[in-house]
Amino acid sequence: MTDKKDVWQGTLALMVLKTLQSMGPLHGYGIARRIEQTSGDLLSVNYGTLYPGLLKLEQEGYISSEWGLSDNNRKAKYYKLTRAGRKQLESEAREWEQTTEILARFLSPERES
Amino acid sequence: MGSLRSFFARLAGVFTGSRRDRELSDELEFHLQMHIDDNLRRGMSPEEARRQAVIDLGGVEQTKEIYRERRGLPMIETLLQDVRFGARMLARNLGFTVVAILTLALGIGATTAIFSVVYGVLLQPLPYCDSNRIMSVFELTSKAMRSRLADPNFNDFRDQSRSFQAIAKYGDNVVSVSGASQPTRTSVANVSPDFLKVFGIQPILGRDFTADDAKKGAGPTVLVSYGYWKQDLASSPDLSQAHLKIDGAIYSVIGVLPPGFHFPADVDLWLPADLDGENPSRTSHNYSAVGRLRDGVTVQQANGEISAIARRIHDTSSEQGDYLLKDAIVIPLQDSLTGKARSPLLVLLDAVGFLLLVACANVANLLLAQASVRERELAIRSALGAARGRLVRQFLTEAFLLSLVGGGLGVLGAFWGVAGIVALAPENLPRLDSVSISIPVLVFAFLLSTAVAVGLGAFTALRATSGDLRKALLEGGRGQAGAQGSQRVGQIIVAAQIAITLVLVVGAGLLGRSLMKVLEVNPGFRVDKIVAMDVSLPWVEDPKAKADQAIFFSNLIDRLKQIPGVRKVGAVSALPMDGGLPDGTFLLMSQNELPKTVDGFGLLRRQKERIGIADFCVATDEYFQVLGIPLIRGRIFDERDGPNSPHVAVISESLARDRWPNQDPIGHTIEFGNMDSDLRLLTIVGIVGDVHEDGLDLPPQPTVYVDLFQRPRSAITLTMLSDADTRSVTSAARGILQDLNPEIPAKFGTFSQIYSASLGSRRFNVILIGFFGIIALLLATAGVFGVMAYSVSRRTREIGVRVALGASSGSVLRMILGQGLRTIFLGIAIGIVGSLALTRTVESLLFGVTATDPLTFAGVTLLLVGTALLACYVPARRAMQVDPMVALRHE
Repeated sequence: MTDKKDVWQGTLALMVLKTLQSMGPLHGYGIARRIEQTSGDLLSVNYGTLYPGLLKLEQEGYISSEWGLSDNNRKAKYYKLTRAGRKQLESEAREWEQTTEILARFLSPERES
Repeated sequence: MGSLRSFFARLAGVFTGSRRDRELSDELEFHLQMHIDDNLRRGMSPEEARRQAVIDLGGVEQTKEIYRERRGLPMIETLLQDVRFGARMLARNLGFTVVAILTLALGIGATTAIFSVVYGVLLQPLPYCDSNRIMSVFELTSKAMRSRLADPNFNDFRDQSRSFQAIAKYGDNVVSVSGASQPTRTSVANVSPDFLKVFGIQPILGRDFTADDAKKGAGPTVLVSYGYWKQDLASSPDLSQAHLKIDGAIYSVIGVLPPGFHFPADVDLWLPADLDGENPSRTSHNYSAVGRLRDGVTVQQANGEISAIARRIHDTSSEQGDYLLKDAIVIPLQDSLTGKARSPLLVLLDAVGFLLLVACANVANLLLAQASVRERELAIRSALGAARGRLVRQFLTEAFLLSLVGGGLGVLGAFWGVAGIVALAPENLPRLDSVSISIPVLVFAFLLSTAVAVGLGAFTALRATSGDLRKALLEGGRGQAGAQGSQRVGQIIVAAQIAITLVLVVGAGLLGRSLMKVLEVNPGFRVDKIVAMDVSLPWVEDPKAKADQAIFFSNLIDRLKQIPGVRKVGAVSALPMDGGLPDGTFLLMSQNELPKTVDGFGLLRRQKERIGIADFCVATDEYFQVLGIPLIRGRIFDERDGPNSPHVAVISESLARDRWPNQDPIGHTIEFGNMDSDLRLLTIVGIVGDVHEDGLDLPPQPTVYVDLFQRPRSAITLTMLSDADTRSVTSAARGILQDLNPEIPAKFGTFSQIYSASLGSRRFNVILIGFFGIIALLLATAGVFGVMAYSVSRRTREIGVRVALGASSGSVLRMILGQGLRTIFLGIAIGIVGSLALTRTVESLLFGVTATDPLTFAGVTLLLVGTALLACYVPARRAMQVDPMVALRHE
């Protein structure tokens, strides 16, 4: 059970970082919506993992948070990418691309020899 | 990097929990509101929008829980939780907790106190720079006994060895010092010039000795201790005018040693040795020696080198005989200082370790009983999903709480304990001043508490969580099956406790019986009502000056006799048990055999049938009456024996028997000039009773007594037999000495003080080990009682059934006592085997009893069985009185 969660959290972290990179500072709800939208509503962000995931990223120093006001004047916590987060995003994205590429080679039948 | 940072963030999270909780609530609330807003925009009704949003959001509380786990460090949080829970459990069972903590405090405190003595005396390095490089050098006699060094031998060691950076000889004695303030008797050391270099110290003021200071006939110089400089020289920074009159000669103070330097112990002044020239004899052992090893030289190398030099001396010296060294040995100074104290202290440490084990056993039993009471709680927790590891951790945490609190209290107690031990300790225990609760001792106490905690916690946890806990639920809380298992463990613990206690009490019994045997020894003298007065006049060599000193003592004795209440006044070179007498080889010879040259004596000394070995004691006739040493034959000194009449000697019974078997020694003449440089022959005129000179537990020494008025000496102890109050005699005697010569200090004491100090180390061991034994006995009794009482209370139902089915109260009693007896006898059997194996370690401390003394073993076994049975009897009686009706309704 923990194994699965870790993998999921790993991808979630990457999605969060990427979202924050492209969108700028964003609150938790916005991040969730954005990820769902980007996935073409294939993913539904599990809220129970989103906030612990954000906390983990913050503890690791990849994102930082501060309280601000949302568009409709509600108090909201905004997350933004830190310098370390940008670097982490780059290296993780590269790693992920590599992983998918390798997996794609395994999975495409015509390349099999 | 990220993980380290997150660790600190989470560590911080442990302590900022409540604020972060509120923030998360706000954040989730915002999330919900945004969701509702979105739903509203999609055209839902407000109620529907909220409902959908809540459904989508899922379990808020679960999210919060996951968030919390991520926020802090779950390990620390559960630890804190365990600690809180443990503390609550302990607080709820206050009686159990207090007993357990106090028992542990007793065990840990006593062990810590004894360890602090062992550490201070045996382990703590000496307070000198690189103190492990400082060695003691001893000659070895033909009987392989360590002895002091003769001057020429020391010189050979110094000049021929290459192992030492610096090597020095030293001797210490007590002299009269005046010139600073009041005349006092002060401990001084006579040292060779490299003495301070051996210890790696330099004077903080002034200069060290040079080779010139030590030359024969050099102007007398002295180094003073820091304390002496502060007190008696008023911390004067200018030493050029500082002079001390030591034994009548004027010494210039040339330097002040650093604070804290006191070697040999209690010495305040250091003088160059041999200002009057060295003693050329290789058989006069006057000095101890210390050396600092050269870098890279090992103790073994130094030992080999010194030993080779010693054997060369032995093979080539013209002075042969028992007093010439056979070999030599190099050992670390620390070992040589503490050698005699080592084995008694280690025995004490063992004893207190046993006490700790007995205390831990009691606590283990308490915890075990607690654990079976808590079976239901454990079962419920386990049923609710608590992993076994978590439950084990709970027990460990509780054990830690108990041990650390107990250990803390124990250390507090140890402060008093150490003060008590130091007050009780015999004066001859070396390095007593360095005994304290120091940092290493605290570390030891902490580690000890931790070890106890791990042991107790692991034991109870494994006991309590083994097996299927859920069964306990099924059994409706009666827990019979599990309880019987833990009962058996409890009985094994009690058996072990009895075994350990037996070993401890047997040890105490053997030491106690040894002390009693020692006290039964007839010392050969009277102890009561004797006031001792040490007086030392300046050391002189000139016969005329010596005779004058004898006249001074004679006058002093006459005056002392006039003190009201004083019946007799004697004088002696040293009282029994007070430092010992010098021993040496005397020659049997007649007047016409007296050789003309020193070489002639050497020749006579090679004739075995002419030599004898004895202690040399200078005394007056009344000394024998004061101490009640009986005259067996012949006479003691009297008016006939003036300085110019033939010199006489009185010998002890054992010397007469051993040296002159089947012969009458009276009338024989001996030469004992190597003791006082007087070659006049001594005619034996009497035989007196034996005296246990060096201690009651040592055989009496053969002794030759000579007359103070024929063979005067400068330092004597006056002995006054008096019916009057000691204080009034002391002050009267002090006044008389003042009147005769105000510059001469005296030291007073009673002979019974000196005598009882000689038993100090034996008494110290008996008191401490006896105390530990009594405590262990009480703890073991409590252990037996606890286990039996618990067993009876658990078996109340069963007993009730038995009684209801017709068991007589006698058979119930037999059943319970039988159960107890099995445990007790198992413990006793193990204990006796253990004692037989372990008491061998105390063999060197025993006197008059063997390590397997049947009387001690039988007595201790009876004592233990008796108390243990008594402890069984009370619960057994309760079992006997069980009312079946009440018992069956029980629970």
